[in-house]
Amino acid sequence: MSKQTDYPSASDDVLVRLAQRGDMWAFEELVARHRDKIYARAFSMVRNEDEAVDLSQESWVKAWQRIKQFQGESGFATWMTRIVINLCLDHLRRQKRLRAESIELMDEEGGVERQMPVVVNNPTEGLEREELRRRIDRAMNQLSEAHRTVLILHEFEGLEYKDVAKRMGCSIGTIMSRLFYARRRLASLLAELKEERSS
Amino acid sequence: MNREIELRLQAWVDGELTGAEAGEIERLIVADPNARALATELGWTRTAATAGEPERKLAEPREFYWSKIERAILHAESGQAPEAHGLRTWWHRWWRVAAPAGAIAVVLLAASVPVLRGRINANAGLRAEVESPLDDISSFTFRSESEGMTVVWVDSH
Repeated sequence: MSKQTDYPSASDDVLVRLAQRGDMWAFEELVARHRDKIYARAFSMVRNEDEAVDLSQESWVKAWQRIKQFQGESGFATWMTRIVINLCLDHLRRQKRLRAESIELMDEEGGVERQMPVVVNNPTEGLEREELRRRIDRAMNQLSEAHRTVLILHEFEGLEYKDVAKRMGCSIGTIMSRLFYARRRLASLLAELKEERSS
Repeated sequence: MNREIELRLQAWVDGELTGAEAGEIERLIVADPNARALATELGWTRTAATAGEPERKLAEPREFYWSKIERAILHAESGQAPEAHGLRTWWHRWWRVAAPAGAIAVVLLAASVPVLRGRINANAGLRAEVESPLDDISSFTFRSESEGMTVVWVDSH
């Protein structure tokens, strides 16, 4: 470990190279820089603060153990996000929270979303960013783990259908169905939130 | 619209269709107002979700958050099991040495009780105070701590 390096000013690439040589100060700087993002992703998936803190910390331990395998094909933050997502998916699987047991998944299989009226006027139009975030957060909270996870991987992480399917261990058809249901339900919840505010 | 068309419509919104498949859905959107409305809804939902990804900050201070990570890393690197196991191992080692020593101490203590009791009684005897307030009157006071009793004997000759 060296205290002569100006860690706060160093780029992620430099810090990663130092960490790969065993510099724990450099790694600590990377943790400080990206910890909120990693925690936020864990929270978005498990919706529990304590679990999210534990999973995010566990993902940093894993990252240190695998840092030499990081070749820089993607950014460090992207690589880290992948680690925390995999840990969260394992966690949800262990708790059987991704199994098709929820009422929502039964609804999806029964095609309930097909009876939902199309929301014609965009209820998020003109909203301030913060208010939009609050409403999305509230709506996401009301989705099942399986639907929320599909939305997170597709919308937030920008993964293609096949990559979401691979991560979640499902067929592409299942992912498409879940995404369709999740979006239609999200649209409906956002419309309800708008009505709540205006009434 | 059947289920399959709806899912293909969504795939078109997500840019997952190409060529002939995409063209087919585009024609449908132009011809069918329901398909158009659904495509619009799926589109704005996607945009809203992407733009409105909730942010969240850790409440724990930097040092506190890091300390747990550092401990876990160091434990893993030293080849030790987690802390709880480490504590258990330490307790077992300590107990292996302390248990025989403790047993010997108990035996010695038990053996020395009669001796100690004798000394205490002897000390109690020493503490028995002899008072002689007047030359012609003598008195003896005896206090037994073990019996919880005081006896005063007065002799006026």
